[in-house]
Amino acid sequence: MNRRLSLTVVVVLGLALLTFLNLVGDWGRLTGGMSNLGVFFRESLWPPDWSVLEPQSYPVCEARFEFTCSVAWLGMVETIKIAFVATVIGFVVALPLSVMAASNLSPFEIAVPTRILLAAMRSLPSIIWAVLFMIIFDMGTLAGICAMSFYTVGYLGKLQFESMEGIKNAPLEAAKAMGMTRTEKAWLVAIPESANQLLSHLLFMFEYNVRHGTVIGLVGAGGIGLYLNTYLKLAQYDKVVALLVVVFLVVVVIDFVSMVLRSAVTEEGDVERPSWSSLFLPAAISSTLHPTPMLKDASLKESE
Amino acid sequence: MSLLEEVLVHLHDVAIGYDVPLIEDINIEVIAGDVIAVLGPSGIGKTTLLRTIAGLVRPLEGDVELAVPSRGGLGYIPQRLGLIGNLTVRDNVEMGTRVSLSRWHLPFFPVPGKQRRIAERAMEDLDILTLADQPVRILSGGQQRRVATAKTVAQRPKLVLADEFLGELDDDNVEIVMETVRQAIDAQNSAMIMVEHHEELAKEVANRIWRIKDGRLIEELVR
Repeated sequence: MNRRLSLTVVVVLGLALLTFLNLVGDWGRLTGGMSNLGVFFRESLWPPDWSVLEPQSYPVCEARFEFTCSVAWLGMVETIKIAFVATVIGFVVALPLSVMAASNLSPFEIAVPTRILLAAMRSLPSIIWAVLFMIIFDMGTLAGICAMSFYTVGYLGKLQFESMEGIKNAPLEAAKAMGMTRTEKAWLVAIPESANQLLSHLLFMFEYNVRHGTVIGLVGAGGIGLYLNTYLKLAQYDKVVALLVVVFLVVVVIDFVSMVLRSAVTEEGDVERPSWSSLFLPAAISSTLHPTPMLKDASLKESE
Repeated sequence: MSLLEEVLVHLHDVAIGYDVPLIEDINIEVIAGDVIAVLGPSGIGKTTLLRTIAGLVRPLEGDVELAVPSRGGLGYIPQRLGLIGNLTVRDNVEMGTRVSLSRWHLPFFPVPGKQRRIAERAMEDLDILTLADQPVRILSGGQQRRVATAKTVAQRPKLVLADEFLGELDDDNVEIVMETVRQAIDAQNSAMIMVEHHEELAKEVANRIWRIKDGRLIEELVR
């Protein structure tokens, strides 16, 4: 690390520390805080109340697997459905907008207003969008889907146009010299070139929306958040913890599926497939448990 | 120049470069059938000259006149080849044929049968048909160069601009690539300007040499 960089790091860290000290003015309030947390954890949070995985008493469960009538299952499935629909709608709307916002694909006079539109859509958190849509559609799933879709367009659009702007210049220059139209350059060059990042962002957004389903549910927009909200109001924190463990496990599964899907379009994917251990363990430990296999297409590389 | 010769490119008093001129007073014409090799040390402006002719960089002075169709008339193989690594060899080569279609042929739809056959022929000529369904990113440097050439051959442009496209190819493959390109140029009555580092190879394949020295372009006739 050179001297100037070291100095910058020290200055930034010092500034952060000073700001932190300034923000927290009264340290006395922390006295006994940890023991309070301990009491709260022992008496209210632990152990989790796994009755959330048992079928509800009403309506009578007629399903083959009883847990599919449980609060956790019903809430999680609805949250995943809302997140899935909102992510797909958001992606379909965000893709053309991100092409319009990318400075290497669109002229300045189109790119700037599109970026402003995307910024406006993501500057309101999804919980505020949920409140607005609840006023229009009343409480429920539709308000949740609309809120998540709007936020997804703003957030995903930004990630996507930045990926498209980051692609190599050579393919775009070759396409421009050939006389390709703007649509051809976007569809045939920019989107496939940035496919890995686009897919990665799409899967991240789905995972984000599943996690966020717990938040927008709090304002009545459907899904597991609705149950969380109920248990919070009734101070049944052990049930809240049980539901959060379910959300965590679902997020881990989505993360693994996303790694497998992404490996299909990465160069590294030709060499390495992800493993469960890589989700939980540091890379150094994980790689010793699962050594990198031989290059799948080594024969092609060597054939010349 | 005879009256029957078709001028494809005309540069009048052109100066090229970015902030400072790299090459000045360029007055040249490219005639259909020409294979021109641009020679000179690194950083002297060879790539900038190609990019200026391709319309990717504005000349600092003078005019560049291109007598080729704006859509599909110019084929450009950049130094880094400009291929899409995530797409298959076939997709990349077929991309070359797309510019022979109308602007209104939406890119979401596959190319028609005629264009598909042209692309297959180009892949066959360059001995990459067996790799057609492989993603380009897993191919070796030499194989990728043949894909880039096949894409340009399938495009059938009037003028080909190629930036060190013979690098990483062994002697046999240079012969296959140049033979295919030469046939395509003859069939289309087109021309090619190629930047090349190896003087002997350049003299072997080109009929004209443009040598860049001390900020000037000097023409040498080979044959």
